Amino acid sequence: MRTIVRVQDLTVAYRHLRVLKDISLEVKAGEILALVGETGSGKTTLAMAIARLLPPGATVRGRIEVNGHDLYAMPAAAVRPLRGRLIGLVPQEAMAALNPVLPVGAQVAEVFQTHLGFSASEAWARAVEALARVQIPHPERVARLYPHQLSGGMRQRAILAMALALHPPLLIADEPTTALDRLTQGEILALVRQLQAESGMAVLWITHDMGVVAALAHRVAVLYAGRLVELGPCSKILSAPAHPYTEALVRTYRDLIAGGRGEPFYAIPGHPPSPGQRPSGCPFHPRCPYRQDRCRERFPEPLRWGERMVACYFPRGDLG
Amino acid sequence: MARLIGIRIAQGLLTLLGLIVLTFLVQFVIPGDPVRMLAPRTPSAEVAQRIRAQLGLDRLWWEQLGRYLIRVAQGDLGESYVRRQPVARLIAGRLPATAALALAGVVAEILIGFPIGVALALSSRLRRWLSGLNLILLSLPTFVIGLALLLALGFGARLFPTTGGAGLRELILPALTLGLAGTPWYAGVVRDRLEESLGSAYVRMAVAKGLPNRWILFRHCFPHVFPALVTMAGMDLSAYLSGVVVVETIFGWPGIGLLAVQGMQTLDRPLVMGTVLVGGAAVVLLNGIVDMLRMVLDPRTREGLG
Repeated sequence: MRTIVRVQDLTVAYRHLRVLKDISLEVKAGEILALVGETGSGKTTLAMAIARLLPPGATVRGRIEVNGHDLYAMPAAAVRPLRGRLIGLVPQEAMAALNPVLPVGAQVAEVFQTHLGFSASEAWARAVEALARVQIPHPERVARLYPHQLSGGMRQRAILAMALALHPPLLIADEPTTALDRLTQGEILALVRQLQAESGMAVLWITHDMGVVAALAHRVAVLYAGRLVELGPCSKILSAPAHPYTEALVRTYRDLIAGGRGEPFYAIPGHPPSPGQRPSGCPFHPRCPYRQDRCRERFPEPLRWGERMVACYFPRGDLG
Repeated sequence: MARLIGIRIAQGLLTLLGLIVLTFLVQFVIPGDPVRMLAPRTPSAEVAQRIRAQLGLDRLWWEQLGRYLIRVAQGDLGESYVRRQPVARLIAGRLPATAALALAGVVAEILIGFPIGVALALSSRLRRWLSGLNLILLSLPTFVIGLALLLALGFGARLFPTTGGAGLRELILPALTLGLAGTPWYAGVVRDRLEESLGSAYVRMAVAKGLPNRWILFRHCFPHVFPALVTMAGMDLSAYLSGVVVVETIFGWPGIGLLAVQGMQTLDRPLVMGTVLVGGAAVVLLNGIVDMLRMVLDPRTREGLG
């Protein structure tokens, strides 16, 4: 399959604060890559870097290509029209992402007006189609409603309709379902999977929720303290995690699913480091049960086998 | 909706009733005797008594209040003691000039304050200069701004008349004075609301959709600014409609403010009551209009109106 996103040796820093270090990954057409990590691991920074939407003051090294466009080699003004057309982006706090004083339909229609130069009435008709595509019932009626008149799930669908209005080959979603209840969340995830299968777009889905990963992703990338520590197919990572951090994540998730059988839930000891005070070597070593002296000294070279990658001196399980 | 409007009208009438009673009572408390202001020299006790009876001032205060309220309810604001003319006619004669100045003042405030507020929110380079200008305007009293304009553009450059009057050319300087005095407030509110909007999640979403900056500003940010602007403009308009004494005095603008001051100086009770009542009515009416406008501008406040 065609590679839609190619990130090579990406390092992002705010002044002396290094948020991301040496990230390399690809997302191909037709696949959903889940980006997993704790708060402060750099997930959102990575998503924003791919859309070239980092705040001013961020320094970016490395290379990001989306659909063949080298985003950081072109002028900023040239990137603007690529958003929406090439990259559909659903930013964080999606629930507040709708303008309260504009009807939902107008907020979808403006994508067609600005990108394709459609007239207001033409754009409105296309907006209703876009709302129907994300399975909003009575789209012509809903289009005239204001955001506060919609349920959380409907708002989420409307936002998805905006991001996907121009059928971009890439969708980036930053924890959009976090604020939804489980049932609505499940509906949205099923919808995304269906739309993705129909269109063959690439999806980069950011989450801290292993349940979402299990339900949605084809492949998983695990981020810890600004480092990519593990990458591989979803089923493999969930059944046989190689990095101790991934192992801990999967174990917490399993315990939650199995739910209170008298045993205490497993929790990863310690706290995730803040970007200002990241440990030397492998950043996970202070919390890692398998750590040895060398873990403190240097970040391990990534090991690659098959479709998988892990950055650990002492990976778990059998790497065959 | 009709119910809501009915409630607002009732509230407004109640407010005006309270205003009348309070103003009426205050006039009994302030020292001075209207009769002595009317009579050229110290009148004899008999003459004073006759004038008092003529004006109805010999009755008990609540009797006077009651008679006044009944007449106001019939649309009669009484007759000025000093000018011997119906108060309603006196005020009606001044109202067009006052309304013109009030409207022009608010328009000037918006025309100057809005762009400055936008520039303050958008440009960090302009911010230092403009916030300095804002601070200067903020610290200048209205009469200083007015006199400075009169000196520079009236007497100095001779661009505008300095002799007073109620024409269009005479309107510009007083309106500009009101505008400059109000500018810092408008600029501040516009800047705050705009910055709030620029940092919002819906603007981040708009950026993510690849919309042009100008589109985002006009379609997504300005609508967030307008309700606050309308509220301020409505408050100012109603305040100016009850007369802007300082500006009217400096530029010799024949508005209600001057009338009210003359009324107070001569203890002309019907005139004072009339000007206060008209000002109060303007405040009540404009507040109602502003609330309606806000409902049009912000769909969230329409909720529950059915």
